[in-house]
Amino acid sequence: MTRIRPAWQGIVAGAAVVSVYLGVVVATTPALDPAPAISAALQLNHIVIAGMGVGVGLQVYISGRARAAGCRIGSRKTLGGNSGGAAATSFFSFFSLVPLGCCGWWLYALSLLPGVLGTGATAVLIEHSQTLAYALLAVVFGHVGVAAYRLRRERSPVPRGAAGV
Amino acid sequence: MSIKLLAPACAIVLAMLAATAYGVSNGTDAAPPAPHNGTAAELPANITIMETDGVLHTIPLEDIRYGGVPKDGIPSIDAPVFRNATDAPFMDDADVVIGLRINGDARAYPLFILVWHEIVNDEVGGAPVAVTYCPLCYTSQVFERVLDGEAVEFGTTGRLYQSNLLMYDRPTDTYWSQALGTAVKGPLSGHILATVPLDLMEWGDWKSTYPETVVLSTDTGHSRAYGVDPYGSYYTDPRILFPVNHIDDRMPLKEVIVGMKIGGTYKAYRQADMESHNIINDNMGGVSVLLLSEYAGNTRVFDRALGNMTLTFAYNGTALTDAETGSEWNYEGLAVAGELAGERLVRLSIWPGFWFEWVAFHPETLVYGDDQD
Repeated sequence: MTRIRPAWQGIVAGAAVVSVYLGVVVATTPALDPAPAISAALQLNHIVIAGMGVGVGLQVYISGRARAAGCRIGSRKTLGGNSGGAAATSFFSFFSLVPLGCCGWWLYALSLLPGVLGTGATAVLIEHSQTLAYALLAVVFGHVGVAAYRLRRERSPVPRGAAGV
Repeated sequence: MSIKLLAPACAIVLAMLAATAYGVSNGTDAAPPAPHNGTAAELPANITIMETDGVLHTIPLEDIRYGGVPKDGIPSIDAPVFRNATDAPFMDDADVVIGLRINGDARAYPLFILVWHEIVNDEVGGAPVAVTYCPLCYTSQVFERVLDGEAVEFGTTGRLYQSNLLMYDRPTDTYWSQALGTAVKGPLSGHILATVPLDLMEWGDWKSTYPETVVLSTDTGHSRAYGVDPYGSYYTDPRILFPVNHIDDRMPLKEVIVGMKIGGTYKAYRQADMESHNIINDNMGGVSVLLLSEYAGNTRVFDRALGNMTLTFAYNGTALTDAETGSEWNYEGLAVAGELAGERLVRLSIWPGFWFEWVAFHPETLVYGDDQD
């Protein structure tokens, strides 16, 4: 069986993340046609969208490289953390979509949050949503950095445990 | 961890995809409905009423856009609770309110509460009113909520027309455009709601003008993060990220204007001009009007006609006087000194909001100042 190269895996994964993000945008802003909805999301959140695509894509690429080299870098756990980070990043960045429609879905979603989190926590999340989105994006890239470091260490020619022998 | 976080996102996508269907069809002309008693009246004759599958409408049904929220998903406030001005620690002097004073009953409705509800069904000075606010268009309006002589409640439809709030009346389920003040879909299509003059004003100014005022409290019966505005920097961001039917570059898109509708004439006045001039004597639609602005963000409009006189006003920084008799007038449009003491000007309704919204609904609008230079 032919194995897909890690680079392609990464590109596909990054594209999938961006597609899912934009799919959620289109689905949650029905007042707009898909093209203006996507255009608006790209204008508002281009850093987050591109960052998530690149971050998750890199993570998948590194995991693929590790598997191909027979290295154990805890890639499944790191990838899982990265997916969660990307989901949370998306969630907070979606808050900025409220102005895309009066009475819109995201205003509705935010109005339901206090029932789950309380009004105080909700207020903090709304007020700092962009900061939180960027912070979580940094976490995504942090995971990528950790994975890259582990892969590099695993592929190092120094035998494991050599320093202690 | 990842599955736990991703599952809600997937649920959101599926739920929204399931909720986006909305059928429309082309309209055909129909006879206008019978005029209503009460405050609702027929639209001008130049409005065409159409019928599609038995549903009357005045706008193309395909232009009614689903916002993604069910009817009343953004809940109106139907049992408003008020606090005295001295007992409102949740208010800051800089908070903008919609101020209303009817028969001596002064009430303030903070925009930071309205942004989560958009409609307050209230009774002020014995008059049933709907206080409405559309954050996207920054449009505020107060309507008499009386149909067929009966007080009715309004709610949010979860739908938009030209990015503006569409309300519905609960007895007949007719859709009403907030920006037009008219019924646009349903059995009452072709009727208008009477408007009530309102003030947009900072809370500090409002309560110093009317110390007896009460203010809508955050005890709305709904749990909301009233301290923050979910629209964030939208109001100051010069862009709009949604399409509008008619763009007009006579002003920046989000210039705050005071719209006036008299007869078939529409005219926009920049709020910034109002605040720099304090008063404007103008004529529109065959009516002589006086626009007054004594407070930040606030404008009041009066008919300058009094009996068989048309007054011309001047403001010297402290007193408002008319040139014809030298009488002194206050901010209520009441002559407080001079020959006309005790006389009162008729106050007119205004349509405040962002320029892009006003001109989208009224492309033919005049703009004050464009024809003055």
